[in-house]
Amino acid sequence: MDILRALGFRTYGKKALPVYKEICVLTVFFLVLTPIIHMYRITDFMIFCIYVMSFDLLYGYLGLLSFGHVLYLGAGVYISVLFSIYINSNPLLSLLAGTLGGGIVAATLGLIVVKLDGASFALVNLAFSQIGYFLVTSTFQRLTHGTDGISSRVEAWGFLNFSDEYITFSFILISMLLVFYFLRKLTSSPFGVLIRSIKENETRVTFLGYNTFLYKWITFLVAGTIASFAGGIYTLYVQYVSPTVLNPLDNIDPILAVLIGGAGNLYGAIAGGLLFMMMKDWLSSHFAVWQWVLGIMLLIISFWFRHGFTGFVMAIRNYQRKKAVTYDQDGAQG
Amino acid sequence: MRLLQVDEINVSYGRARVLHDISMHLNQGEIVFVVGRNGAGKTTLLKTVMGLLKPWKGSILYEGEKTLGIGPVKLAQKGLRYVAQDKKVFSGLSVKDNIALAAYSNGVSMPEAITNVTSIYPKLNDFMENKAGGLSGGQRELLLIGRALVGHPKLLLIDEPTEGLAAIVIKDIFRILVHMKTENISAIIVEQNLSIVNRLADRIYVMREGHIIKEIDNSRQAEDSHELENYL
Amino acid sequence: MVESLVYGFTLGAILYLFSIGLSLTFGTMKIINFAHGMAYTLGVYFFITFLRVFPGTFCISTLLAVLCMIPVAYIVERFVIRRLYGESLDYAIIATYAVLLIGTDFIKFVWGNVPQQVRDPVGLSVSISDFMIPVYRLIIIAVAVILFAGLNILLRTTMTGKIVVAALEDADGVRCLGVNVNKHFSIVFIFGTLLAVLGGILYAPISAADPYMWLSILLISFAVVIVGGMGNLNGTFVSAFVLGITMAITGRFWSQAADTVVFVVMAIVLIFRRRVA
Repeated sequence: MDILRALGFRTYGKKALPVYKEICVLTVFFLVLTPIIHMYRITDFMIFCIYVMSFDLLYGYLGLLSFGHVLYLGAGVYISVLFSIYINSNPLLSLLAGTLGGGIVAATLGLIVVKLDGASFALVNLAFSQIGYFLVTSTFQRLTHGTDGISSRVEAWGFLNFSDEYITFSFILISMLLVFYFLRKLTSSPFGVLIRSIKENETRVTFLGYNTFLYKWITFLVAGTIASFAGGIYTLYVQYVSPTVLNPLDNIDPILAVLIGGAGNLYGAIAGGLLFMMMKDWLSSHFAVWQWVLGIMLLIISFWFRHGFTGFVMAIRNYQRKKAVTYDQDGAQG
Repeated sequence: MRLLQVDEINVSYGRARVLHDISMHLNQGEIVFVVGRNGAGKTTLLKTVMGLLKPWKGSILYEGEKTLGIGPVKLAQKGLRYVAQDKKVFSGLSVKDNIALAAYSNGVSMPEAITNVTSIYPKLNDFMENKAGGLSGGQRELLLIGRALVGHPKLLLIDEPTEGLAAIVIKDIFRILVHMKTENISAIIVEQNLSIVNRLADRIYVMREGHIIKEIDNSRQAEDSHELENYL
Repeated sequence: MVESLVYGFTLGAILYLFSIGLSLTFGTMKIINFAHGMAYTLGVYFFITFLRVFPGTFCISTLLAVLCMIPVAYIVERFVIRRLYGESLDYAIIATYAVLLIGTDFIKFVWGNVPQQVRDPVGLSVSISDFMIPVYRLIIIAVAVILFAGLNILLRTTMTGKIVVAALEDADGVRCLGVNVNKHFSIVFIFGTLLAVLGGILYAPISAADPYMWLSILLISFAVVIVGGMGNLNGTFVSAFVLGITMAITGRFWSQAADTVVFVVMAIVLIFRRRVA
């Protein structure tokens, strides 16, 4: 909560309530103030923020760096799409199918990867992400139409008509807030404390009698499921998807977003997600070759700004108060 | 000027503090022992003096110079040596090559280095070409100490040299330590074997849970052996 | 079938040349060096340029390209790797990926996006029983084997080699002897990078060169290193060839699955391996 105070917002009462207000304020702020960022971009951004929050759970809180998180986003996308075409075109059921399907993939692969150490973990996930791309473009080509892409058959259901901008926007906004609320509760709970302890020193946690494999696996499962949820929402919103959602080169996106915003706190994930997407938009529209800028940013962050934007803000605030730097229960500890 | 001066160092692993305001010192030519139960922080202390760990508070002066941030490489070149508790040798290299590394970094010629080591432990001559990984625990410890003595070191930090070793090897180690004393080589030794401690120590530090709870001047040897047991 | 096997060995040779640097860097500094892929690609582009300027001089152009890459490797090591090494592995991985992004865009900027072709410099084939095997591929295999032997000799006889072998096991132990281990790690890093450059150049006539050519080999190489054991140099040699042959044979029956099969093998190895990673 320090970050909110640092930004000048008052926090009071239960934690969940003010957060809703803050985020709605932010979103309306964007809508009203910037002609460049249209509603459809904000919607894109929000989906990305859900995805980044899921990644932050795994990396910022548990400390596992995956270079293959895009697999779960893609899994959510494709399972939802295929469900809507071949089984049932109800939007909520498709979304549920995508989320659960991605969750099953995460649960299965999690059993393999979670026991690996940092370097292998990063790379094996990357390899799985590549396998996922391959499966969609080759093995299941008849189902997925490979690189041609495929349109979803999601229909309206009740008042949930996703061709309507406003309904889509509201649905996605509420989804993002729900995810935020869920993750806030999870990370503030004893489970959250436990995974942060594992990040700091897994051996000690094991000696205390906890089965760290189980907790790491659960976290991986939750992170994968939420990423798939983001993918499923994306399907509802976009209506046409292609294997580019599984492009292994995109695995760096949530990493950079989380680093820009500040790992280990949810506001950082959202801030990072927004900043990253806006930067990407701006860069790609002004330069033909722009990834090097991301590279430079990554370098700068790796050397000097490891706690990203939120860390920077907190540091300034603490400097102003002339206190030793401490972070609240959600904050990133270097 | 004292050879080593440690002032109120605090060392933590992550958020867990292992050393609390530890202060100790060593004069040239002294052999000081650090005793205490497992987990008291003795290994951490040695590693910090060697530069493998950094204290976030406090200072260490070696030969009058601050050692913070210098790192083990430079400290070793200044005459500090560390023999770890796990008795790790470079198992992929031959015994000869194990010594060669020490010779290389200290500008000592190979023949001199080999003599250095074999004068302490002549049997090692038979094992020169063998892979160091095949040595027994006792042989390793002797190799490690011998190797540490290459290049005329000033201060040896030895962590539990007799742990897990047969009595006959312990005798060899004791002999080496006595020899070191006559050569005016200083040492800080972590040790659980109290008979060795009592016979060799100039001073003894007793540690418990990250604190030094007692410093014993061992010039009055007989009385202190009981005192020592009381603290452990 | 024999052609596939030869191709498999050729792939294995190239994989070995590329992976050895990764394995060494990881074994010594515990850093996954994504920038390795950038060096590989950049080296090939330098080579292509030299070949255009001095046509017909395959070997000399190779040498020039390798020489040009020495300062590049040094800069990456000095300013990126050395600063992050020893600290969090995560930031080191991320920083090397950043170098990769920057390097790739640099290549796109200077040379453009269009794939470049290089011709087989030998252009001859040998017939072994009924099969025609390009001599060039045999040369590549020979190069890899010679380098493997050479590397083993270097490790055993030179001081740097011994330091590296010791450091792969216990780097801090070497430091405590007063050896400036980091300096030797730099040498190893540059050497590993140059091997990858060589691998890329040798492979160029078989494939085309494009700014993203690192993608497929980097991923497979990670599999090679993981299967062979991070920092296990002999293991890397074996797994490079095993995986290379696996790829070639799979490619014969189901061409797009070649890469994926490697990852499946890696996953299986990981599931059944006792130690972690």
